[in-house]
Amino acid sequence: MQPVLRTTSVGSFPKPPQLIEARTRFRRGEWSRDQLAAAERQATEAVIRLQEDLGLDILVHGEMERGDMVAYFAENWQGFEQSLPVRSYGNRYYRKPIVVGKVGAARGLTVDAWKAAQALTDKPVKGMLTGPYTICDWSFNAFYPDRRALVRDLAAIVHEEAMALAAAGATYIQIDEPAISTRPEELDLAIEAMTVVTSGLDAHTISHICYGDFETIYPALLDLPVDQLDLEAANQGFQLLELIARSPWPAGKELALGVVDVHSHGLESVASVKQGIYKALETIPVDRLYIDPDCGLKTRTWDEAEAKLRLMMEAVHEVRQELAAR
Amino acid sequence: MKIALQGSYPKIPAGSGPSVRTQIQRFDRGLGGPRDLERTYREVTGRLLNLAAEVGLDLTTDGQIRWNDAFDPIVRDVDNLYSEGLLRLYDNNFYFRHPVIRGRLAFQGGTLRYWTKAAADESRVPLKVALPGPFTFMALSEDQSYHDAERLWRDLVEVLQMERESLAGSKVVEVQWDEPQLAQKREVDIPSVVEVYRSLLAEASLPQSIALYWGPRVHSWLEPLANLPWSAVYLDAVADPEVYAVLAAERMPWTVGLGVIDARNVRLEDPESLARQLEPVLRRQSAERVVAHPTSGLELLPPDRAEAKVRQLAVVREVLEGSNPSRQSEGR
Repeated sequence: MQPVLRTTSVGSFPKPPQLIEARTRFRRGEWSRDQLAAAERQATEAVIRLQEDLGLDILVHGEMERGDMVAYFAENWQGFEQSLPVRSYGNRYYRKPIVVGKVGAARGLTVDAWKAAQALTDKPVKGMLTGPYTICDWSFNAFYPDRRALVRDLAAIVHEEAMALAAAGATYIQIDEPAISTRPEELDLAIEAMTVVTSGLDAHTISHICYGDFETIYPALLDLPVDQLDLEAANQGFQLLELIARSPWPAGKELALGVVDVHSHGLESVASVKQGIYKALETIPVDRLYIDPDCGLKTRTWDEAEAKLRLMMEAVHEVRQELAAR
Repeated sequence: MKIALQGSYPKIPAGSGPSVRTQIQRFDRGLGGPRDLERTYREVTGRLLNLAAEVGLDLTTDGQIRWNDAFDPIVRDVDNLYSEGLLRLYDNNFYFRHPVIRGRLAFQGGTLRYWTKAAADESRVPLKVALPGPFTFMALSEDQSYHDAERLWRDLVEVLQMERESLAGSKVVEVQWDEPQLAQKREVDIPSVVEVYRSLLAEASLPQSIALYWGPRVHSWLEPLANLPWSAVYLDAVADPEVYAVLAAERMPWTVGLGVIDARNVRLEDPESLARQLEPVLRRQSAERVVAHPTSGLELLPPDRAEAKVRQLAVVREVLEGSNPSRQSEGR
């Protein structure tokens, strides 16, 4: 029987020091691609083992082969050029891709990494993609006449990638759209694009969204054609749940609730996480509520990421026991 | 026509050279100390100030090289104001720590003045400081204490005035209030905006300007703001191209800034085309009362593209003044 309050993680994990060293050596031309790939496999195994040890239910592969959730695709698809780094917050930078031609891709970029991770565990591992709207929004467009044209071309590519993951056996496919709240007037475009991506897809579909102004796109966001919305909530003291409570939660839709802030070094208390979970349960049926961190964990150290996940699991176990005792 | 920068600028070099990013990483790893970090801040700021002088800018900022985000120095200078969770800054893939008010605002000061003074002393180009305007501040912060809008507004205006006055006696020549919030807001109580700004601008020892950007409603503010004592009003002409027509038709009572260089796209503007758009505005306003500038701070661009955009401002001016060979060859 499936446990209630199924647990998962959003996507990225911190890269262990050995992998950071390997990436540096590869960049300098000191290591071959095979040597880098071996380091990535080793790091992926550590990510899988950590999640298994902590008892998470649906795993991620940790994105050890990716530098950034948009740049990774841009580096491997046609039509993009890489920029010098741009700051996103604090001392975090990313290479914001520049669209310089018609975008295109060979199918199956993400399949090998997913297969390798899935082979390490009996638990389901999510196939991880970035959504077309976010890839557009987090790139400079120096080619297409407008954003809609670019998003539509990207949607077709992401759809092919999702189909390839499903064909390989992925039962959970996550298509991240953190930029979806950026321009409320374009929500229809993001929904149209996700409709293309998930069309005919035989998998449990998830979309992760974070750090935006949900007020401006809710409840219209519920029309996003995925089975599960994965939303950041701890970062804003679970205020998001007040917004969610204003409308009935739709039948058939799941919510994955972010319960630990991934951009804070500080560790939450078990009590505060439990409080968030119980608040969510006032609106979301227990069998449709999943628990995870606010966002990918890559900005934390390995120890911080482990501590946050461990605390999350402790809170979930306590709530599960308390619910069972009722 | 004058040319100027608006706010932030990349903290990393396009090639080799001092980098705030690298120095903070080293600092966090225990390599290098506070003096190394301080030296890097000054060197990176100096690099921008040298660029500003080389290009011939008439007005610059210090690039906000030390700032984490637009609210950073204010949060450090005001009691009971805290930096909290990350939020997206409007429609950019840039995130700021939103200010949370947990008690009555009181001014302590020190940070902004210290951060700005060294740059102002060093700069060969007149230096301005861009701070978040009160409406943008209120929209992006969270009040957990006042629960009384009138009292909060009163205190906020006072602490912002005190922050501005902390720059008095430095070589700063202008304080610019950044109001992206007003540029996009659909429903806004215009008399309240005018009233708040009338209070904020009062009793100032420094000239003050306002910058409206990232929204389509920029031109609609020209009339309501007309009677306030601005030194300049800076307008995003990329988000709201209608400002060209308005400024070509009506002379404004203050210097007008036109954000003609897109600070959010790497595509380099065509100077000839910009010059053609600017000419009617220059004729109506007179050239010495027009400033061309990027739409906002350039930190949203990679450093090589940011520098190219700064240099492009000078090219636009050259084209307008007829000193650019490409136009001379056209016989203009």
